[in-house]
This record gives sequence, C-alpha cells and structure tokens, in this order.
Amino acid sequence: MKQYILGRVVRSIISIFAVVSIACALIYGLIPHEKIFNNDPTWKKIASDPVASITYKYQKWEDLGYVDFQNAGDICKLAGDDVDYNKCVRGTTDAFELVKAEWEAKGYTVMYKDDGTAYVKQGIDFYEEQPSLCKLTETGANYDECVKTRNSDLEKAVSSYIEDGYVLNYYNTGTLYAVRENTVPEIIFGYISNLVKIDTPWTVNDASNPNLERKIYPGLDHNNIPALKCSGCESQYLLYLDGKFPFIHQNIIKLNFGISYPTYSGLGTMDVIGQGQGDPVKNEVHYDTGLTAKSAVNLHSCKYKSSSTMSSDDAKKFATNYADCDTNKKDPSMIGTSYLFGILGIIVSYGIGLPAGILMAQKKDKWQDKLGIVYINVMIATPSLAFIFFMKMLGNKIGLPDKFPSLGFGSIKSYILPVIILGLLSTAGLMIWMRRYMVDQANSDYVKFARAKGLSQKEIFNRHILKNAIIPIVNGIPASIVLCISGAVITESVFAIPGMGKMLPDAINAANNNMIITLTFIFTSLSVISLLLGDLLMTLVDPRIQLSSKGDSR
Amino acid sequence: MENKFTFVELQKDATEHIAAPHYSYWKSVFRRFFSSKVAIIMLVISLAVILMSIIQPMFSGYVAGLNPNINDQSLRYLDMSFEHPFGTDGYGNDVFDAVWAGTRTSLFISFVVTTITTVIGTIVGMFWGYSKKMDTIMLEIYNVVANVPFTLLVMVLMYVLGGGLWQLIFALSCTSWLGVAYFIRVQVMIIRDREYNLASRCLGTPTTKVLIHNILPYLISVLVTSISRDIPSYISYEVFLSYLGVGLNAETASLGRLIQEHSGYMTSKPHIFWLPVFVCALISVSLYIVGQTLADASDPRTHMM
Repeated sequence: MKQYILGRVVRSIISIFAVVSIACALIYGLIPHEKIFNNDPTWKKIASDPVASITYKYQKWEDLGYVDFQNAGDICKLAGDDVDYNKCVRGTTDAFELVKAEWEAKGYTVMYKDDGTAYVKQGIDFYEEQPSLCKLTETGANYDECVKTRNSDLEKAVSSYIEDGYVLNYYNTGTLYAVRENTVPEIIFGYISNLVKIDTPWTVNDASNPNLERKIYPGLDHNNIPALKCSGCESQYLLYLDGKFPFIHQNIIKLNFGISYPTYSGLGTMDVIGQGQGDPVKNEVHYDTGLTAKSAVNLHSCKYKSSSTMSSDDAKKFATNYADCDTNKKDPSMIGTSYLFGILGIIVSYGIGLPAGILMAQKKDKWQDKLGIVYINVMIATPSLAFIFFMKMLGNKIGLPDKFPSLGFGSIKSYILPVIILGLLSTAGLMIWMRRYMVDQANSDYVKFARAKGLSQKEIFNRHILKNAIIPIVNGIPASIVLCISGAVITESVFAIPGMGKMLPDAINAANNNMIITLTFIFTSLSVISLLLGDLLMTLVDPRIQLSSKGDSR
Repeated sequence: MENKFTFVELQKDATEHIAAPHYSYWKSVFRRFFSSKVAIIMLVISLAVILMSIIQPMFSGYVAGLNPNINDQSLRYLDMSFEHPFGTDGYGNDVFDAVWAGTRTSLFISFVVTTITTVIGTIVGMFWGYSKKMDTIMLEIYNVVANVPFTLLVMVLMYVLGGGLWQLIFALSCTSWLGVAYFIRVQVMIIRDREYNLASRCLGTPTTKVLIHNILPYLISVLVTSISRDIPSYISYEVFLSYLGVGLNAETASLGRLIQEHSGYMTSKPHIFWLPVFVCALISVSLYIVGQTLADASDPRTHMM
C-alpha cells in the first residue's frame, strides 16, 4: 500500500511537471514575443522613441527570461582591468572621432545604422556612409582605423559575448548592445529550475551591509508569540503563528513562477493571486524599535531591504534591515476567494444532489424519479452560460445583486447567487450516479436476503444500500473540487468575482504568459491531488478496496 | 395392405430455413424512435433549426464585425417587428441575422468536432480495449491527461493557437478524443472476452476483422449515447469560450460573443439578450433529446417489447 501511494505521488508530480512543461513549450514557443506589449500602456507611450523602446523591450524580455540583454556599460564594466572603460563605452575609434568632429563642425549630424556604421544625411541630395566619410576627410585620419565600428577596447570586451552566441546591435546613437535569444528548452529549463526557492541565511547578498549576521534563531514576533526568525534570509520570519487559516505559516519554501506582466506589472504571479485585495486595513502596530503607530503593515511578511535603500523613516520603525513588508488588505486573496466559492459550491451541490439522487432511487419510476430525470436532462443539455443567465435573472427578481463587486465581500447577498449556481451546475452528474448506484445495489442478493429476513424497506435503504452506494460517491468528492474550479471560470467571469477562475481568461486576453503558466500549475496540481485523495479516501471508507494489485492481475 | 404413406421429395432449401420472426435492425430502430411523440417534436425542431441556420445566413448577407449600418441612428435598438424579428442592436445590426449566423457556426463546430473525436476515439478505443500491450501504455498517457481540467487545456491551447474557427475545432478535438477513446475502451473490455469473440479468435480471425464485425455493431447504441451527449456539450463550450473572449475571433459570427456583447442589455433591452440565449438552449436541448431517444432505440434489447 505504501509503495502504491509512493508510486502514485511520483506519477502525480511527473504529470504536473509534464503539463507545466508542455504549457511552457506551447506558450514560449508559439506565441510571438512581441504580443506581450499589445496591452502595455508604458510601451504605447515610448514606442516612438527608438532608444527607449529598444531598451524597454529587451529589459522586459530579459525579466521574463526570453533573452539575455547586455548594454555597452555592463559589457565594459565586466570586461576587466585591461579595458579602458570610457573608451569602451564610447565604442568608436579615435580616428573616426576625428572625422566625426570634422563633419559636425561643418554642420552635419552624424547618425548610426543598426550594424553600427555611421552616415551623414542632409535633405535628399546629400548622403554619405562611413567608408566615404573616412575617404573624404581632410584630417588625415587613418582610413583602416576610421572605417571600423568598434575600437580595440570594445572589441576585447565583446569578444567573449560573440563566442557565446550574442548578436551585436547598435542604437541610432551608435551605442552597442548585445542580445542573445534563449531557445525554448533553455527558457523552460530556466523556468522550472527557478520554480522552488528555499530561503537560507545565505540568501541575501548585500554589498552595502557586509556585517549582516547569518543565523536562524527562535524568537518572539511583534505580538510576543514564539516564531522562528532568521537573519540573512530573504524573509525575517521562517515560521510564525497567527489567527488566520492555516494558523501556522512558513516562508522557507516558496514557489516562484516569475513576474506578472503586463497586468499587475512587476509583482510575482504568486503574490498577485496570493495577496489580499481591496482597501488596506489599519491596525495598531508595535514596531521592534518600540514605536507604536496605526498602520496597515503586515510585520510577518517583512523581507530584507538593502542598507543602501533603507530610508530614515524605515530606520525609525525597524531595528534590522527587514523593512520591506506587505500591507494587510480587507478582502481575501484570489486563491482564497476561489476556495471559498469552491467549498460553498460543493456543499450546495452535495446538499442538493445526494438527497435528490437517493429520493429518485427510492421512488424509482414514480413522479419524483421522472421529475428528477427531466431536471438532469435539462441540466446536461442546456449550455452552462444559458443556465447561469437564467438563474441570474431569477435572482435579480428577488433583489440579489447581478455583479459581485456591487455589494462586495461584506454582504452575504453577493454570495448567494454565485454559490447556488456553482452548486447546481454539478448536481446533475451527482444525481445520475447516486441514483444508478442505489438502483444497482437494490437488485443485489444481500438486499433480497435482508428483505427475506423481514427488514423494512426504510431500514434496508438507510442501513444497507446507502452504505454501499456512498462508496463511489466518496471517491468523487475531491474530484468534484476540480469540477467546481472549471465551473468557477465561467461563474466568476459572469459575476465579476475577483478569483483565480476569472484571472485565467483575463490573463489570456492580456497575454500575461507567466500568469497563465502559474494558473495551469495550480489547477493541475489541485486536480491531481484531489484525484489521489479521492482514491485514498475510498480505501478508508471501504476496507475491502485495495488499490495495489497483488500480482494476480491479468 | 395399401400403403397410405407416400414419399415426399426432400426440399433442400427448407432444411436451411430457421423459423424466426422477420427482424430488421434499422427498421426496428426507427419504429422505436418514432413511437416517442416528444422525440418527433424535438426532431422537427432541431431539423428546423439546422435548416434555418443553413439557409438564413445565405440570404441575410450578415458578416460579423462589419457593422454596415453603424452611422444610421434610426436603425439602433429597434424593437421586435416583422422586418427585424429579433430587433436590432447598438450598431444597427439585425439580431435575427446575427443569431442564425452564430447558430450555424456553433452547429458546424459541434458536428465537426463530434465527428472527428468519435471517429478517432472509436478507432483508438477499440484497439486500446482489445490489446493488453497497448492498454498499459495508453493508460499511463490517459492518467496524465485526465488529471488536467479540460477547460484549462482548451483555454491554454486557444491562447497559443489564437482565436478562430479551425483553431477552436482543433483545440476541442485534440483535447477530447482521448476521453471518447477511454469510454470506448471500457465498453470493448466488457465484451472482448465473450464466447463468440473467443471463438473468432480460436478460428484465427484477424484482430481488425473481429473489431469490425464482432465488436463495432455492439458499440452502436453506446456511440449514439456518447454523440448525443457530445453535441450539446461542444455547443456549450463554443458559447462559453467565445463569451470569455478566448474562442472565436471577431470575424466569425458566434452565439457566445453575441451573448457576451448583449449581456449589458439584460434589463434595458431584454429581447436582444434573451433571444440568442434561448436559441442556444433550444438547439442543444432538442438535439440532446433526439440523440438520447435514438440511443435508446438503437439498443436491440429495447426492440423485444
């Protein structure tokens, strides 16, 4: 049994990674990289400026892992001591500088093409390229030196980049930049190898704070509750307790899915869907310097801030460098919202589906059964969208809001309609199976025997048939979480509920690639785990079921 | 003594004759099907809808996303009339034209996808269920794919492929054939070791012949059940994805996008919102009921009564 569970867990992990890798391959390989800028307002502003737009484009791509981008400054800084930094950044040869000064003195502006060669243009009659500029010069500059686009210092600095497969390009100011496009396997490997981040006391590398202590120690948090703290880690609290579910929180192992872009730009995707939403909530906060203030800061979430960026205000509040904290928000996070609706929806669907299925089986071929069958057929046949809008109309008639945000998280009214719809969407399947299992069991020998013993119909149903028929249903409980999630995509979109389900089409429409992969990972893991739990739960309910075969299978 | 017995000539063809009532499978299927009044009504409705969605767009000249009357203020938000049976929308487009063009797209997608997935699924499923070697490999693949929510797969694929009719057909087909194949596999496994199949195997019948002549006929009613469930579900998926903006592109008429665009008029102009929803529900319900009745009728066990 243990071996079986281990095998299942390994397979589950493999299938999660297989799906995420395929999603990565499809998204990074087939979607044009330019597409992410379509919805970026910053890009629209700077698109006409050639220098700024090129820098912005490649920097964003580098952040997302698509390319390696180096500008002349970085290349020259890293080149070592035998390269003159200023000459290297300038890039041009001394001979060409002379020629350039001569042309500029004549009143021409020297411009550059993207292969780095210079030209001079005036009106439509006058156009000379770098070789002719060097030929026509009266300064006596060396021609061979003058036609070169890179001086010896820069040449030395870029030689290793050329070997690594970088492509050298130039801005129209003549400054060089080097770009290397990552291949799809490289992007996927980079993505997956950065997926799990473990926080250790050696994580922080801060040149401005060389005396940083490196240790993990038990301590007290700001509420005087014991916590495991760390100096040198990214987060100050590795383990802490608070009043929110699941009460014990950890910051040691984190999943890193990259940054969200272009929507929620700059935040990590996990932060976007994991952090609270809505207005900040201010509480009385006791800082570790003894300062007390009303603030929305969440002291448990504090991360390391480099000494060079610590402000005097930070120094007043925080005794250590852990000053980069999240704020407490009023409303639950996207994950929290989706869970809430998922769980409530499952309660509704089982609360209605199971009794209805049992009743149908008990009153087989009576009007209750026929009515149930009509309901099931209508539910299967009608498109879910039509059903949702129909229910929404009924709800509006009795005064329930038609969009979730109009009353928000505070009002119970905003939950009723989405939860009922989410629940009803999966009742039909539940009713069919419950009825089927009950009817099948009712024809079995042990029921005939029980009847022969003189048990009443009610006793047979409640104490014998139900117990046996419920087993496959128990197996399906975790899997119905999956159904609720896929159902939630449309319910959340129709009601504008700020959850993960609505995030998926939003991310797709905004071309937020990392967010799509994050959601793929979360949805896949949830469903894989729920299927596994379902099988394990079944063996608990019915000890006769053995998941591992004993070698006698065909 | 006179011999009262006379010799009777041996009738060779009579020995071959087995006394059995005349039975034709397809005749019985149709007799059974047409005995249900609800099914006949639904068949008429679905045929009417299908014909309407084929013929009406040919004459209406409606092209999605074109908005030829966008500058004509007098054509906006008209109520239902003889000229505009479903009224007009905010761009002066006739909603009646848009609904039938959208219905045609929905029906086209669901029929094409159902055909593709059923054909591929049945072929793969039959071999999968019949061969134990293939079963071990396919089961591993199935376990990986079945773990992932279907909606998620289709949405990610649509994002990668970009919106469009054939992209949607591809995305739906390549994610759902495996489910059909698994369904068929289970059915095949139930009957593959029955005595008549064992007999065929003993006599050396090739696998393909066993599958086509012994197993496929048994699967007909199962297949019709699966098809009758699939067609409405693909209509629902098209509507659902286009509603979310990840399905068809703006150049293709779509019921889902129509519903999404008109969802703001739910209270102010209810007819231009509810009529597309109603048509959408009407096609899938009628096709589902026709399919279910046909599935019942195609099960030979129901022919005895």
